[in-house]
Amino acid sequence: MKGLIIKDIMCLKKQLRTFSFVLLGVFVLALMYVLSARFGNIAKAGADMLLDNDITAVDVKNIGSFVLLIFMIIPLSAVLDMTVIFNADGEAGFNRISSSIPLSIPKRLLARFLTIYALFGIGIVVDTVLAIMISSLTDMMTFGELMGTVVFFASILSIYGALVVFFNILLGYGKDQYCQVFAILVTVLAVVLLNLKKLIVVWKVAVLEKEIELNVWGWLDYIKTKAWVVLIAAVLVSAVSYGLSLYIAERKRGVI
Amino acid sequence: MDEVINVIELKDVVKDYGDFKLDKISFAVPEGSVCGFIGQNGAGKTTTINLILDVIKKDAGEVLLFGQPVDGKSASLREDVGVVFDEMGFHDFMTGKDINIMMKNIYKNWDEEVFFDYLKRFSLPSKKPCGKFSRGMRMKLQIAVALSHHAKMLIMDEPTSGLDPIVRNEMINIFREFVVEEDHTILLSSHITGDLEKIADEVVFIDGGRIVLSGNKDEILEKHGILKCKKDELSKISESLIVSFEESSFGAEVLVNDRHAAAKLYPDMLIEPALLEQIMIFYVNKKR
Repeated sequence: MKGLIIKDIMCLKKQLRTFSFVLLGVFVLALMYVLSARFGNIAKAGADMLLDNDITAVDVKNIGSFVLLIFMIIPLSAVLDMTVIFNADGEAGFNRISSSIPLSIPKRLLARFLTIYALFGIGIVVDTVLAIMISSLTDMMTFGELMGTVVFFASILSIYGALVVFFNILLGYGKDQYCQVFAILVTVLAVVLLNLKKLIVVWKVAVLEKEIELNVWGWLDYIKTKAWVVLIAAVLVSAVSYGLSLYIAERKRGVI
Repeated sequence: MDEVINVIELKDVVKDYGDFKLDKISFAVPEGSVCGFIGQNGAGKTTTINLILDVIKKDAGEVLLFGQPVDGKSASLREDVGVVFDEMGFHDFMTGKDINIMMKNIYKNWDEEVFFDYLKRFSLPSKKPCGKFSRGMRMKLQIAVALSHHAKMLIMDEPTSGLDPIVRNEMINIFREFVVEEDHTILLSSHITGDLEKIADEVVFIDGGRIVLSGNKDEILEKHGILKCKKDELSKISESLIVSFEESSFGAEVLVNDRHAAAKLYPDMLIEPALLEQIMIFYVNKKR
């Protein structure tokens, strides 16, 4: 199984090389941002706006948190490139080789899921270092809150990843664009359906009362503190995706 | 007498794709033999190999590998099988070193020393991406992989097609070396019958999803013959001896299934030993 994961990572070698430069950029930008937010122009602009009563201290903190969220999500986004693996396997005709090696279909499928989690592993390590750096330099977000956002985004992206694997096995080689679109649609649809009540309230406030700010900050709190809810959803979706993918792969044989 | 152990056994196997059907095929490959699996393109060779490797699901019948049923739970049996396909299957960016890293984490018995020895022997650079290899080099790379985990059986699907005669000959010598070990077996699918004539002990001939002929190669070659006669002499030949015939402006050529009997019955007619290729062509013509 380890051999297949190594092969998958090899397929992403080029992307990961580029990605390492992106991560370096994220580190530099995050450092510049938190230093500026504490000692530089961003801190000064915030202080000026507070003096003029344009925004509240909570707003300043929340705007800063939103920027930090963007920094935290980038290291996890390597998983978005995972269709490269399916494509590379299809183009090379590797599926015949994987069918001839002494690994059962459940193990071959598990290897694919573990590749996704290995990519998250890289992202989480980078994010942890980033969180230590940010939390030690600013009080915009605590280490716990930062890691909460990491779990939140990793969970959302692992739902996406699990769905891409499922659609890939269902639709077969060469349909990677459909797989990505379907996975995003299903993820968005699930989020919308699960939060329909809240969204209706947000819509009513936004359209009827023209006041949306409070709800936006509510979402931020949710991301920071309720990541475990999405984590449970991710575990469930991954398990169901694995089960269904296995059923299809066993019936088709040799599609992984 | 020692009991013959069959490492591959197919019994009444059916696989129906709608437009193509493997129809109750049965044959066995004895341990220690080289079995040539012949047939024209589209005859069902690859489908049969995929069934043996459990890549596809059979509709009926039984497939046994090393005496164990192949039923979706037989992955561990493939530890002892080296497979070579007509196309390489490894990613173009992969080097010999990359393949070694991958395979040593897949096969329990992977022997990297043996693998790099083969790469050296085949003059395959271990640091060059295999996408830049020629077709012959790609096939050699597959063979190096198939031979580097101490497999007891090689299953090869058209490994020599598209290769020049020198590389083909080189590969046949490698296969010969492999079967020096008594318990080593080869199932070699090919439509290039000349290669099989050099190396095969057994022959299984498939056409249109049915096994037309199977058995010991030497016996098959010994039995069959090409009888040459005039067109008007065709009617004199016993129908039970004729597999099929071809007419030309010079006369007729008949494939007979018992050339010694034919020689006795028709001493005036010229009867020559048949090549595997001729046998294949005449059997295919018979169906048409």
